Parts: sequence; C-alpha cells; structure tokens
Amino acid sequence: MLSENHAGGAFELKGRMATLTVLQVLTADIDELLKQLDGRLSQAPGFFTGMPLVIAPSASVALDAAGLQRLVDGLRARELVPVAAVDMPAEQAASAGLGWLRNFERPADGSATERGKSKSPAASTTRIVTTPVRSGQQIYAHGGDLVVTAPVSAGAELMADGHIHVYANLRGRALAGVQGDGNARIFCQSLNAELVAIAGHYQLSEQMDRGLQGGPVVIQLQGADLQLSAL
Amino acid sequence: MGFLDYFRSEKKTSASVAKERLQVIVARERSHRGGPDYLPALQEDILAVIRGYIDIEDDAVRVQVEREGNCEVLELNVILPDTD
Amino acid sequence: MARIIVVTSGKGGVGKTTTSAAFGAGLARAGHRTVVVDFDVGLRNLDLIMGCERRVVYDFVNVINGEANLNQALIRDKRTEGLSILPASQTRDKDALTFEGVQTVLEGLAKDHDYIVCDSPAGIERGAHLAMYFADEALIVTNPEVSSVRDSDRVLGLLASKTRRAEQDDEPIREHLVITRYAPERVGKGEMLSVEDVCEILSIDLLGVIPESTAVLNASNSGVPVILEEKTDAGQAYDDVVARFLGEAREHRFIDEKKGLFGRLFKG
Repeated sequence: MLSENHAGGAFELKGRMATLTVLQVLTADIDELLKQLDGRLSQAPGFFTGMPLVIAPSASVALDAAGLQRLVDGLRARELVPVAAVDMPAEQAASAGLGWLRNFERPADGSATERGKSKSPAASTTRIVTTPVRSGQQIYAHGGDLVVTAPVSAGAELMADGHIHVYANLRGRALAGVQGDGNARIFCQSLNAELVAIAGHYQLSEQMDRGLQGGPVVIQLQGADLQLSAL
Repeated sequence: MGFLDYFRSEKKTSASVAKERLQVIVARERSHRGGPDYLPALQEDILAVIRGYIDIEDDAVRVQVEREGNCEVLELNVILPDTD
Repeated sequence: MARIIVVTSGKGGVGKTTTSAAFGAGLARAGHRTVVVDFDVGLRNLDLIMGCERRVVYDFVNVINGEANLNQALIRDKRTEGLSILPASQTRDKDALTFEGVQTVLEGLAKDHDYIVCDSPAGIERGAHLAMYFADEALIVTNPEVSSVRDSDRVLGLLASKTRRAEQDDEPIREHLVITRYAPERVGKGEMLSVEDVCEILSIDLLGVIPESTAVLNASNSGVPVILEEKTDAGQAYDDVVARFLGEAREHRFIDEKKGLFGRLFKG
C-alpha cells in the first residue's frame, strides 16, 4: 500500500528498442501458410516461442477478416504473439484484436508494388550544414539530401531521406535513404565512418574495405549489399 | 644540504602545507555537517561582534550543534588571545 | 559590460578549476576586474585551489536565495588586486541553482567586473549547462586522451546549440581550446595524442598547451593559482594563455621535447 508520503509518479515513459518480427503473408491460403510455418518451427522449436509478430500481407494478397482471424488464432496456438498488423484497414486489424501500425519502411526488393514503394526523394529540399557536427548531435534532412562541408565527429549521426554528401572528414554515422529509398547514395571526401547505411542496409567500420578508409568514397546499394568504391 | 635535497624538501613542504590546510578545513566542515545551514554565517557574525571589543584570530570562534539525547545544544567556543 | 567566459570540458579531472583559477588570476593581474564563479553544487573546489577556503561565509546559492548579497558572498583575493571569488554551496543540491537566479547573479556581477569566469562542474547536467548558458566565450579544457577529447567534442556541440547565444541566433560563443597535461616525450614516443591530433578532431582555435607539471599539484597544495608561480613551466604556459586571449601573439613554448637535464631542473 502506498504511503501518503510516496513522492513518486504513477508511471514513466521510457524509450526502449525492441525487434518486431514481420510476418509477410504471401498467400491467402491460411492452412498452407500454417502448414509451412509448422515446418519452420520444427527446425528450431522454442526459438520462436513468445515472439512478437507484425502481420503484413503482401500487396497481391487479399486477406479478408475471416482469414486474418484464422491466421491470428493459428499463430497464438503455436505460442507466437501477433501484436499488430500493417498494410490493411485499421478496422480489420482491430476486429482481429490486433494493434494497427502505419506502414513502415520495406526492404528495397523488386516485389513491392506502387502502394509499397516509397516516394523517391524530392531534390528540391537540400539541407546544407557548414559547421562541424559534434558527438551526440543528430542531423536529419527530411524529404531531401544532406550536404555537410565540415567535419563530422565520431558519435555524430547524419540522416537523410535522400543522398548524403560530406565534403570533409566523416567519422560518425551516415544513414541515407532512411524512408526506404534504395537509390540514395553517400558521398564523402574522407571516409572514417563508424557506420554507413542506405535504406536500412548497413555496414560497420570494421567491415569496410581498409584500402578505402581515409579517402574519397561513394557508397550505394546493390540489391541487399552496400558497395563502396573510390571516387 | 645537497643540491637535490633542496628540491626534495620543497615538495615535502607543499604537501605538509596541504595537509595542514585540509586538517583545518575538514575539521571545520565536519563540525558543521548535519547542522543548520546558518552555522558558518553565525560563526562569522559572532567573530565580527567580538572583534569590536578584542582582537582575535580568524578561527578563534567555533560554533557547533551538539545532540544530547532529545536536546539540540548550540555550543560556542571563543579562544581569547594570551594576555601579555 | 562584462564578458562571460565559461571554462568547461565535459570530462572531470582534466584541469578546469586549475585553469579557471590561473586564467582568472592572470586577467586580474593584467588589470581587469575579474570574478571567478564556482558553478558546482554540493561540492566546492575553487576556494581551495585559490587558497581562500577559510574565508567562505556565504556562497552562490545563498545569494540566489536572497540570504546574502553579492558583496557579502564575494571573497576578495588577498594576493591579486581586482580578483574575486564566488564560492559554490556545499549543502544544497542541483535544484538550488535556478535559471533566473543564475541570470540575476551574473547581471549583478557584470556591473562591477570586466570578466566573469564561470568554473563549470564536470558532466553536462544542470550545473554545467548553467555555467555555459550565458557565456560569450568558452575555454574548452582537454587532455590529450580519447575520452577527454570525445567529451570535449560533445560539449562543443552543446555550446553551439543549448546556450543563449545559440537559441537567440546571436553571434556564436567564441571557442578556445586549452590542452592540459601535455607530455611531449610521450607524444614523441607515439603514446600520446599530439596537439595536431587534438586540434584536427575538435576543429577549434588553440589558445594554449599546458604541460604536465608538478607545479600544478604544488600550487593547489599551497592554495596559489599556478600562474603566480612564475618560474614554473605550467605557470608560464598559463601566462601565455592569458596573453594570447588578450590579443598578444606568443609562441607555444612547451610543445617540444625538452633537451637535456637543464630543462627538467626548473619544472617546479
């Protein structure tokens, strides 16, 4: 029982990172899906138990309310935890007892249709930064490219929906195409970055080609791999 | 005393100065710890009042709060200079 | 109107208070009315380094709370004309330093002084934030060592974004790098970051390099700002720092390795 002198608040909002696994539904045949799922689960029993899932029907799949409910029941029976759904009407998700998420970034695969494909970055808004970007600072160029003409310290983070250009020493992190544009590129005059990423695909400094470090480099996405090449 | 001894004793001297300063200031601060915040100011005010009558050292006045059972007692010590 | 200079670093133990004391004493010695303010709360250091610990009666928080006025709290330095100290409170916590309180005190100090040197505590929390918030210029004290350099970089980011000048889009705070505890022999052996290394990573103007020196410990033991120990390397290095700050061009004397025994004898 709380004493009257309890000075604490009733709740706290804490930022936490959690990995949500997405179950991409590629067929409306739920029985077939569950059968194949059983096959996967038997390969690693226990690994998937309690795993939170977001149900994401592929663009070409017409999943009706009954099908969704069968899927949710089937997942729960297998001790998986569907928590939310995406890419479907909110009411449909709610009727199956699921939370509803707005669409988040999809991997840059060719199977995405018009609805799933993100807009290409508008070249009209380019953000230019001319002062050093310090450790702990984060710069996000919404809807466009980012150009930095001063050093970027280790511990700093550059983000852009479009391309990132650093005409100086890049020691921090650079994430281009953060809304999912796989065509975004990173250009830098002197690569010493801790991490580079395009549309969610990343590479750490230790994975980068030694020969390129310290020099002018362009980074682009080929399929699911980052390609680094000398400028 | 050799040439190098001169430098060695210099170092000892500054450490002993430090030790003396610390002994005084830590003792003073410990005596005030747990007491009301006004103690240091009270000490200085009393020092100033007494100085209006007799010339005394900076640390001739010591004010402390003592706890005896249920009572809190304010203890005041004043060290007067030797009469020549 | 007074210039407010914050001495900050992010990392603790790199030489902020030593630098604040030496820098403040140097400015006063050059004829400018200077006050050095200890922005820590709960811990008090500046008074010890300046040798006036036994004369502390009222402190910064007493003044903010109206328990004393500035004249009662300010301690006039006995050695250097025109130098005063405003000590930190030892008994309160960080919430005692309010934004309005600090602003009012700084405005009061500005009337009678040419320079207000704000000795920042370590970290980036309330005390450090308030110490830098009203600054016109900043001395960033950095050891040639990885965590110190990274913390200084973080602080530079805050100076450029979370201060009054930044928020009001005024001319930015002028930033000066002071490298302390520099050991040229270790740099020569490749064990320690060089002046060039630190300057390249932080990209700000170098104000001075203070060599690692026994003089610093001796000075704090004795309660004397090290700049007043004129025969010592550290004392002279701080003298150079003050001179450069006031516009004089001076060579960096303590960056190169000393040649032979003769150099070591006069380390202090």
